[in-house]
Amino acid sequence: MSGERGFTLGHYARVFTDPALRKALWNTVVLAFWSGLAALALGAPMAWLSARTDLPFRRAIRSLILASFVTPPFLGAFAWVMLAGPNAGYLNKLYRGLTGAEQPLLNIFTMPGLIFVVALYTFPYVYIMIANTLELIASDLEEAAALLGATRFWVALTVTLPLVLPAILSGFILAVLQALALFGSPAILALPAGFHTITTQIWSLFQYPPKVEMAAAFSVPLLLATALLLLVQKRLLGRRGYAAVGGKGPRRRAIPLGGWRYPALLACAAVLACAVFLPYGILARAAFSRAWAQPFTWENFTLDNWSFTFLHTSTQSAILNTLELGILTACVGAGLAALLAYIANRKIIPGHQVLAFLAVAPVVIPGVVLAVALFVAYTRPPFVLYGTLWILFLAYLTKEMPVGYSQSDATFRGIHPELEEAGRILGASRLRVLAEITAPLARSGIIATWCFVFIGVIRELSASIILFTPATKVISVVIFDLKEEGQFGAIAVLGLFMLAMTFVTVVVMQTLLGRDVLGPRQSARAASG
Amino acid sequence: MTGVVIRGLTMRYGDVAAVRGLDLAVKPGELVALLGPSGCGKTTTLRLVAGFLTPEAGEIWVGERCLSSPASVIPPERRRMAMIFQSYALWPHLTVAQNVAYGLRFNGVPRSERDQRVKDMLRVVQLEGYGSRYPGELSGGQQQRVAVARALVVEPEILLLDEPLSNLDANLREEMRFEIRRLHETFGITTLYVTHDQAEAMVISDRVAVLEAGRVVQIGTAEELFEQPRTRFVAEFIGKTNVIDGIAEDRSTVARGGLRLVVAAGELERGAAVTISIRPHQIALALAETAARPAPGANALGGTVRRASYLGDTVDYQVELDGSGLLLRVTGAAPPRARPGERVSLEIAPSACVPLLERG
Repeated sequence: MSGERGFTLGHYARVFTDPALRKALWNTVVLAFWSGLAALALGAPMAWLSARTDLPFRRAIRSLILASFVTPPFLGAFAWVMLAGPNAGYLNKLYRGLTGAEQPLLNIFTMPGLIFVVALYTFPYVYIMIANTLELIASDLEEAAALLGATRFWVALTVTLPLVLPAILSGFILAVLQALALFGSPAILALPAGFHTITTQIWSLFQYPPKVEMAAAFSVPLLLATALLLLVQKRLLGRRGYAAVGGKGPRRRAIPLGGWRYPALLACAAVLACAVFLPYGILARAAFSRAWAQPFTWENFTLDNWSFTFLHTSTQSAILNTLELGILTACVGAGLAALLAYIANRKIIPGHQVLAFLAVAPVVIPGVVLAVALFVAYTRPPFVLYGTLWILFLAYLTKEMPVGYSQSDATFRGIHPELEEAGRILGASRLRVLAEITAPLARSGIIATWCFVFIGVIRELSASIILFTPATKVISVVIFDLKEEGQFGAIAVLGLFMLAMTFVTVVVMQTLLGRDVLGPRQSARAASG
Repeated sequence: MTGVVIRGLTMRYGDVAAVRGLDLAVKPGELVALLGPSGCGKTTTLRLVAGFLTPEAGEIWVGERCLSSPASVIPPERRRMAMIFQSYALWPHLTVAQNVAYGLRFNGVPRSERDQRVKDMLRVVQLEGYGSRYPGELSGGQQQRVAVARALVVEPEILLLDEPLSNLDANLREEMRFEIRRLHETFGITTLYVTHDQAEAMVISDRVAVLEAGRVVQIGTAEELFEQPRTRFVAEFIGKTNVIDGIAEDRSTVARGGLRLVVAAGELERGAAVTISIRPHQIALALAETAARPAPGANALGGTVRRASYLGDTVDYQVELDGSGLLLRVTGAAPPRARPGERVSLEIAPSACVPLLERG
């Protein structure tokens, strides 16, 4: 962070005195706080409904929330531009057609619009935290209170709420963290509206003429805020994590909703419509239309978007780059994470705690900030990686390591050391035990780690957008570029392609783990997302 | 056949010493139980013998081979031992037969013989026909038997067991005690058996080593430990007992307040502090008015029953002694002979009053 003329604090001074930069800081605070709150408002009731009540279609709702969870937020933002852009937005056209009004009903290019879209894709974090905690609370606890004469509301207020309060608060913090680190949604929605957040500001400081020192200085408040919030969250959850509530497999009885069953279902459906059905619908529609804003008729139907997209050489190279990076990072990441987790769990070398710490430390670094750091480190000798896929690889590996490590750690924690010792005492060497006993037992966990990293990489935008060069574009960057050209058809095609890859990976993972990837052991993903 | 000799074994976890200068000699073909409360260092000792840990001081010898010393530790796979773990540690991805056969690959059993050996061993543990099942498909007791088979089939020089029965329910546990004893008598493998359950240790082992704070405080047969405990810890850990602190009046009399007891061995030093242990079942209790004359030389005491609990085959009394106000536990035969508040006389043979070393 020192300029050519040596060490200076001048850049920091400017960050806090320049009115434009101060405005961006403030916008980020507003965005993070309100979208965190909105995510809580959406996620907490849905978590309670699906975990504790007789709400119909609970499994389907959970799956759809998973879909929302793995949807890249920037794709959601694009979809919402098509849905609620003031002029051509589908919902606005529908409204004008129905009412004959001149003014649009919705304008997504506003701070409330941005908050809305961000909350739609961060509420799953809140949902996961709270639902998994609720599922660990035995209903005996609540029934004990009910037997003592408490009303249902009083039970909820005095027994259930205090038990899930840590989960609620830390879900809120997770949502805030997501909103802080997001680049795509603000870039798509805030920039046309004429305002910046920290991440878009850092990105624009990289545009010609680049002011790398300023970008670096501007990264620091974001980094500090993230680290602070994670610290608070860790405190809230305590050392044992949020599984601290109750024992294993408590019996739970669903609370009857009575007449509220269907209104509650409708409310959940409305949220999922905004997060999944409408965006996916408009993307699918745009992918097969000549003009996405026109009525969907036979004349308007086309496959040109697909051929245009996939035959374009720059798209092809981006897809190749993405797959190469995805597979490479997933292989190296899963391998490294497994190795580190094995070493740390079996305490094989002194200092293993340091390795574990280093593996999870990048969790405090937002993608944009990581990219700035890598840019500063690798654009000058001795390591000039900028302009190659390697710098992206390093960024992805660093960014995904916490998730991968947590996943692997859970895997090795689940393998009792006595299973290995039993092999040793019967005559097998450490390596043989590793190959014949540990590896087969850890296999599905390691493949799941692979999938986590792969999904994380193929959707990554915030670091890529700073580190790419024309030869090293990835799908997310191409999608972002296509926005400038207004190529919504191609965006839709690539977006659906990305989603398809993600869902295939998720299905593979679900099958391998034999359980819901959002289930309690997956706190890792949520805690470091 | 070989025995195990442990000398001055010491092992620390951080600042806490788990094992502190432990000495133990296991004779060839003998089954010795390491008995003690949690944290006494018994599992650490076993893991040191297995070679999973490196001692800080001391040595472990098996026959002519020094297996562990601070300078060098022969790895577990070269110790010709087998171990049965608390968690059973069966490999869930291998069948029962594959689990049992695993160790045979490493001790030179030809491939052609392995299947037969596995089959024979499964018959010994009464699991014939279970070879193709997976451990997850078996009950806890069956899993336990697989673990036993896997350890015995390799014909180890030394067998180590780490609380192998603690995950079983009470009935099965009792059955498996006899089963393990039977297998030991069949195969005669030198065995170290870790447990915190004194009844289990007494049923299964040839000798019991009682561990306290990382040391063996007493080793002997179940009978020796019960009849002649050397320390207060052993007396209280093995069975129920009454412990009385007093002062030696002469070579064979201990006094406490108005109470005077003649004890077994006449080696006491006049004026020394002495602790004696009296087992509740070695005190004879009778109603004061109907009591026979005490046997010559026996200690005769008077007291009042404070509590009498009927336990079916026995009655557990609490008697307050006249004068000293000491409370003694007395186990008598059912039906109850005295009710709370009634005066009783107690008779204790000198041989039942065992002086303890004040910390061994």
